[in-house]
Amino acid sequence: MSVDRRAFLLRSAATLGAGGLAGATAQQALAGSSPTTAPASSGATAALTARVPFDGAHQAGVASPPQDQMTLVALDAIAGDRSNLVQGLQALSSRARQLAQGTTMPEQEVDEPPADSGTLGTTIAPDGLTVTIAFGASLFDDRYGLARRQPARLTTMPAFPNDDLDPARSHGDLLLQIAAQRRDTVIHTLRELMRPVRDQFALRWTLDGFQSADRGPTPHSSRRNLFGFRDGTANPDVSDAALLDQLVWVQPGAEEPGWTAGGTYQVVRAIRMHVEFWDRVGLREQESMIGRSRDAGAPLGGSDELQAPDYEADPKGARIPLDAHIRLARPRSASTESQRILRRGWNYHRGFDAAGQLDQGLAFVAFNQDPRRQFATVQERLADEPMADYVTPVGGGYFFVPRGSRGAADWVGSGLFAA
Amino acid sequence: MTTVAGSASSPQAVADAAAMRPTAAGLRTEISPLSPRAFRAPVARYRAYAAREADAMQAPVGQLATALRRGDRGAAQAAWGRACDRYLLLGAAYRALGPLDRAIDGMPGGLRRGVADRRFAGLHRLEHGLWTGAPLASLVPWAVKLARDVHTLRRVVRTIPITPLDYATRAHEILEDAQRDLVSGRAAPWSGAGVRATADASAATAAVVGTLVPLLQGRGDALPPVQYGLRRLDAELASVRRDHGGRWPATGALTRAQHERVDGRLGAVLESLAAVPGALETQLPRAIPALPALAAPKRAATR
Ligand code: HEM
Repeated sequence: MSVDRRAFLLRSAATLGAGGLAGATAQQALAGSSPTTAPASSGATAALTARVPFDGAHQAGVASPPQDQMTLVALDAIAGDRSNLVQGLQALSSRARQLAQGTTMPEQEVDEPPADSGTLGTTIAPDGLTVTIAFGASLFDDRYGLARRQPARLTTMPAFPNDDLDPARSHGDLLLQIAAQRRDTVIHTLRELMRPVRDQFALRWTLDGFQSADRGPTPHSSRRNLFGFRDGTANPDVSDAALLDQLVWVQPGAEEPGWTAGGTYQVVRAIRMHVEFWDRVGLREQESMIGRSRDAGAPLGGSDELQAPDYEADPKGARIPLDAHIRLARPRSASTESQRILRRGWNYHRGFDAAGQLDQGLAFVAFNQDPRRQFATVQERLADEPMADYVTPVGGGYFFVPRGSRGAADWVGSGLFAA
Repeated sequence: MTTVAGSASSPQAVADAAAMRPTAAGLRTEISPLSPRAFRAPVARYRAYAAREADAMQAPVGQLATALRRGDRGAAQAAWGRACDRYLLLGAAYRALGPLDRAIDGMPGGLRRGVADRRFAGLHRLEHGLWTGAPLASLVPWAVKLARDVHTLRRVVRTIPITPLDYATRAHEILEDAQRDLVSGRAAPWSGAGVRATADASAATAAVVGTLVPLLQGRGDALPPVQYGLRRLDAELASVRRDHGGRWPATGALTRAQHERVDGRLGAVLESLAAVPGALETQLPRAIPALPALAAPKRAATR
């Protein structure tokens, strides 16, 4: 578990108490905070009853700790008109709120189809579920009269050098990020969310992701991606509200329409990782491409994952090559710190390709206040990094995540439609 | 310290040992580095080979332009295939040629307007037009541009610097490229020339490995499995070609069994080729300067 995730759980535990994240998770988080305790296997054994509130100033699933299982669902809006679209969005929020809260299936007439698929039984435990709802640029075309309210920095994701974007796996009017500790919870949620909105939204693409298990060695060690490297080490501290206001949340004012305040831009990249090829590369070369040791995740030359790489003391790249992934992604100079992004990556595995090669990769998710200033700037710096030969971005999109819903009477996106 | 089960070593020490990296105890022992001078003759031989292939590309590119002007799509497609063969035989994998490679062999994936992008040029721009029914006259300017770029190529392959490390990695990167892009049908999607292109890549690899034989002999056991693997791959490709009446089938026309066997032979030879760069090192992996240990307050501050 990364530092930031632990910090979040601690805060959640403190602020939500027993009514928020349920006992087991909070306790494990607390146990993990003591450096002398044995590694807590928090994720895998988290109680089914762990609960993350759906409503709040910000949507859940952004700054909350990434759960073990996740599915991204891009939808196209097929609603006939604006009010029909609103109905669909209301239904999504209301159903998502219910599932995130946990619910019991009502008694029902035997001659009717049950109200719930029953794949989780009759007691539907929350399992840490978050459903994060976001809008793509295409929703703001002329169909629903939303053009004038488009978030100022929302565009269709451009193709970057070396991208091989498949239109069938890119973009979309709406994006749902459904995440929970267990796969069955995620799949159940998707299935239930679609039921009330068949007339409004059509599936465009989906991508299933998973986190590697927490295998230590310490409670704050990051999980590994499918290149075998720890991922998520250097992320903005999500317990630092002031920092998130600078890097993640859209602030009131500026050139943004008022309804966007408290929201954030979500960048999704489905990045195929050519794992067979990677596995044929010497360890030293792998580590030089990333800039960290594979085992510990420490910056090269260091021994601890949390050590700062100290580029100032290494101007020529004798320790960490100048074109290493972490060095290009974040040079840690005063002028580049405002480009930091909040990364929430999940691994994916989706079979194999026509050449018999495993189709594995990274469901890269990043949240930021301004994709031009942040994500795109970083991505452009990474254009010719040595790792580029081993990965191919194949899909994804830019989306805007509105602020959280204010309660049971509200719904995500209501601000967009308010007069 | 965490130790790996059944040993008294840290995971890092075990990883170091597995990668045969220099550890505190000393340097790897079994193979001492080659002198960079040892690469002079192989690189010179390769350069002469690459220059011949680049020169030989000019003719089919010219024939392609002629066929386009004449309005003969069949002849243009055939000339395109011959031009493509030459480029692949040159073994210019993995951007060895920089922007020139993109101009000659670039795909539209990273371009804003995809296949309609003005920067989409070279062999695949022509391939797209030739196999999707574009008016042949509209392709003439692209063939002319390609001829110019091939002219530059002939000059560049004679002079471009090739370090020992570049050259040692090229031995496996040509076929890595083929596996990623050619047999998957990702490159050459319109013509389906992936199988034929893989045969070219195999020949290019054999040419590079051939120049390295004197170096590899007597340096561990990397060479025999590579030679065996290349023979198996070539035999498989030849048998596929026979099964298709002596013509290269489109990637999509491979039967499942053929595809599986080609993919498997290719994967196997790649596993063997992965040992080549290590066997041809000209310097021991350098020691990484130490980063001063983590200052204690950092961890406390993040809690
Ligand atoms: C499959 C593709 C990718 C892989 C395998 C990968 C892998 C890694 C690894 C292993 C780290 C070091 C551990 C950490 O701090 O999390 C890292 C850090 C990072 N990556 Fe990536 N990454 C990928 C794509 C991207 C992309 C597309 C971006 C953004 C455009 C990006 C931005 C960053 C940033 C900002 C850091 C932190 C650097 C720091 O603050 O020191 N990565 N990545």
